[in-house]
Amino acid sequence: MTGSAGLASVADFAHESEREFAQFLDFYQIEWRYEPLCFPLERDPQGRVTLSFTPDFYLPQFDLFVELTTMKQSLVTKKNRKVRLLKQLYPDVNIKIFYGRDYRRLLFKFGEMAE
Amino acid sequence: MNEDRLPPPIRDVVLPAAAISQRVRELASDISRDFRGRDVYVVGILTGAFIFACDLIRRLRVPAHLDFISISRYEKRPGTGEVKILKDLQDEILGKEVLIVEDIVDTGLTLNYLIRNLSNRRPASLAICTLLDRPDLRIAQIPIRYVGFNVSSEFLVGYGLDFRGFYRHLPYIATMKDRDSLPPGKGGKGSGGGVLRTTR
Repeated sequence: MTGSAGLASVADFAHESEREFAQFLDFYQIEWRYEPLCFPLERDPQGRVTLSFTPDFYLPQFDLFVELTTMKQSLVTKKNRKVRLLKQLYPDVNIKIFYGRDYRRLLFKFGEMAE
Repeated sequence: MNEDRLPPPIRDVVLPAAAISQRVRELASDISRDFRGRDVYVVGILTGAFIFACDLIRRLRVPAHLDFISISRYEKRPGTGEVKILKDLQDEILGKEVLIVEDIVDTGLTLNYLIRNLSNRRPASLAICTLLDRPDLRIAQIPIRYVGFNVSSEFLVGYGLDFRGFYRHLPYIATMKDRDSLPPGKGGKGSGGGVLRTTR
């Protein structure tokens, strides 16, 4: 696996919410990897990957992948389909999705209500 | 307090005082049965669990010692550092039957830290009792033996749960109105950049 661990302040993230989540994990001394694995979900007849999914975080201590979805509903629907496929193709993989509403409420509890 | 006359920021009562009281009695009965013949060392997690812990211990029918522990909580600002114990237990727990009492469990990360910490002190056993559980938000799969109520991810106040230090005194548990409907100074538009802090 590749990725970062415990370096929330210096690691590169695609979205600010991911940095915030990494800081949250750092606070609780939870080791994390950022986008460590890409799971192929669909292939064309030639075997080339046409659809894949890269969960945001992997938490080795809990053997858990975490995906944050703070985006608009249309993209959430697309992501939900990917997660559903992931669970079908890789039933041993544990993944947790934090939807925008849940994530905002976590931030609310821990210090700031998201806009 | 009359539940029909709610403070302005409160939206709905989700757990009336009578329902909480009944459930606390049931939890105390279960704990008393499971710990029969043994002393239990109850550890309430400050500040949110203080009312629940006190109500619970008054209903126990086994010898119980009450202690409290306080743990720093994550705040969304730079330099928060790492989780640590702000107020430790008064007594050693070596060889004791410890029951951790929490107000609400969501990600489980606070309890995950606490279990690791207290386990190093070699108690005879370590069990968890929470009044409220939000399993949908769980990250750390911690063993919770006693659960009062499963609740949604909505922000809750009352019966020890606070918003900016307020509303702990409410005898019921309630949801709050949306941010835009809150008055200035209570987390509404005029609260200075919209930064809300809880002391839970």
